[in-house]
Amino acid sequence: MLKNWFKPFETVSKNQQLAISAIWIVLVAAYWIISSSGTKHLFPTPGQVAEGFSSLYKEGLVVHIGSSLALCAQATLLAVIISLVVVYLSPLPAISPIAHIMSRLRYLPLTGITFYLAIIVNDARTMQISVLFIFMSLYFVTTLLAMLKDIPKEEIDHARSLKCTRWEVLWEVVIKGRLDYVIDALRQNLAIVWMMLVTVESILVAAGGLGVLIKNSDKFMNHGRIVALQIVILLVGLLLDWVLNVSRKTIFTYSKF
Amino acid sequence: MATAYSEKDTIIHVENLSIVYGDKTIIKDINFTELNVTRPDKTVGQTIAFVGRSGRGKSTLFRALTGLEKPTTGKVLIPDFNKDIADNLQPAKLVCEGDVGFVDQKYTLFRHKTVYQSLFYALRKNKSSDEEKKSKIMDYLKDWGLEHHKDKYPNELSGGQRQRTAILEQLLSSGYYMVLDEPFSGLDVGNIENVKESFRKINESHDLNTIVFSTHDIELAVELADSIYIIGYKEPDNPSQHYGTIVKHFDLKDMGLAWHSEFSPSHHDCVVDIKKHMLKS
Repeated sequence: MLKNWFKPFETVSKNQQLAISAIWIVLVAAYWIISSSGTKHLFPTPGQVAEGFSSLYKEGLVVHIGSSLALCAQATLLAVIISLVVVYLSPLPAISPIAHIMSRLRYLPLTGITFYLAIIVNDARTMQISVLFIFMSLYFVTTLLAMLKDIPKEEIDHARSLKCTRWEVLWEVVIKGRLDYVIDALRQNLAIVWMMLVTVESILVAAGGLGVLIKNSDKFMNHGRIVALQIVILLVGLLLDWVLNVSRKTIFTYSKF
Repeated sequence: MATAYSEKDTIIHVENLSIVYGDKTIIKDINFTELNVTRPDKTVGQTIAFVGRSGRGKSTLFRALTGLEKPTTGKVLIPDFNKDIADNLQPAKLVCEGDVGFVDQKYTLFRHKTVYQSLFYALRKNKSSDEEKKSKIMDYLKDWGLEHHKDKYPNELSGGQRQRTAILEQLLSSGYYMVLDEPFSGLDVGNIENVKESFRKINESHDLNTIVFSTHDIELAVELADSIYIIGYKEPDNPSQHYGTIVKHFDLKDMGLAWHSEFSPSHHDCVVDIKKHMLKS
C-alpha cells in the first residue's frame, strides 16, 4: 500500500486519501508544537493562538469581518458590472481595444495607481473600494477574455445556422451560454481581491476590517493574534469560494466542470 | 434494376464558387446543380454526398453552402419559397445564414438549453402559436425517440440522442435543407444505424427535403446517396493547383443504383470506382 503512495499517477482509494490527509495534518500539528516549544520560537504556541482568537473576538472580530466583507462586496459588484459590460461588448471591433488594454493594465503597480487615486479621492473608504475595484476589474477582464476566446467556433456557427442575428449569438452563446463560467471566474478572482483586501485595509485605514486588526497585532508583535487572524481570513475566503461554487452548480445544473 | 424517377425544378445551384483565405485558395471552380427528384407513388427527397481525401475543402464548401462563409467568387442559389412562382419557375435567392441547416461533426447544441428548449428556440421565427409549436415539438420528440429526454441538457444526452436533437433542431429551423459534415465520423454501428434512420425519415417526409453530407465511408455514401461528388485536386502533382474542386460526379439515380435496400455488386463496383478517383485527386 505504502509503495503505491509514492508511484506517479497511481489511483488510491478514498480511505487511503483520508489517511494521507490525516497524516499530513498530524505532521504539521507536530511540527507546530515542536517548533513553538522552548523560549525562542518563530511561531506562537497553540495556546497563544487560542488566546489570540479570544482577544480578537472580544475586540469585535465579527464586526471587522462584516466590514471586510462589505468592502469586498462593494468592490466586487462594481468590478463585475464594469468588466462584464466591457467583455460582453468586446466582440465589437470598436470596443475590443478597450477590453484588451484593460487586461494589459494589470501589470501596473499598486503604488502608482494609489498615488493618483489619492489626488482624486479624499475619503479613505472610497479609496479602498476604488483600489480593489480597479485591480479586480483588470484581472476579471483578463479571465473573461480568455473565456470568450475559448468558446468553440462550432457554437457560434451553430447559433448562426439557427438564424440567430449577431446580437442573438452574443446573447445566447456568450452571455447566457457562459454565465456559469462567469461565476467560476468570479470565484478565482475573488481570491485575489480577498488577498489584496487585507493589505489595502492595513495601508488605507478607514472603517476597521481584518486588515486593521492585523496591522494592530503586528504593531505589538502579538504573534498569537496574527496567526489567529490568518486562520480567520483563510476560512472566510474558503467559505466565499465554497458558496460561489455551490451556487454555480445549483443554479446552472448543466455546469459540470 | 433502375428505379423510375423524374426531375423537376432546381433545388440547389452552385456556380463558380471559390473561397480564398489570404493567398491560399481552399476551393475553386465549384459548379453543380441538383434538381428536385420525384418518384411515382413515393415521397422522396434528395440525398447528396461529398467525398474526398482530407484537406480538400469539403468543410469549407459546406460552410459556403450554408451561408456561414462568404464566397470569394461565385454564388450558391436555392429556390425562394417565399415568392410566388413566375413563368412556371420558382424564383431563386442567394443562400443566407439559416436558410440551410448545418450539423457539424460534434453535433453542437446550446449547452444551456434542454432538448425541448432547444427545439422551441429553433421554432422562434415560426409564426404558429406556442401551443402549436409545443404540439409539433412533442410529435417530433415522440417520432424520434426523444420524448423521455426532453428536459435533459446536452451533457446529459448520449451521442445518439445529441445527434437526433441536433438534426431535429436544424430541421425545425431551416425547413428543407440540411448539410451534415461527416455525420458518421467516430460513431459505433448502432449510432450509424440511427443516423441512417434519421436520413430516411427526413427523406421520406417531403419531396423538397435535401440532405447534403460528407463522409470518408464510401460504402455508406453509395448506400445512402442518390448523387455523389468527389472533391479533390485536379492536378495533385502540381502544388500551385492544390485547391479543392469537383473532380467527378456519380449520378446514382441515372446509374440505377439509388434507393436500393440491397448492396449489389454494381454498388460495390461504384465504390471501387469512387476510391480510384479519390486516390488520383
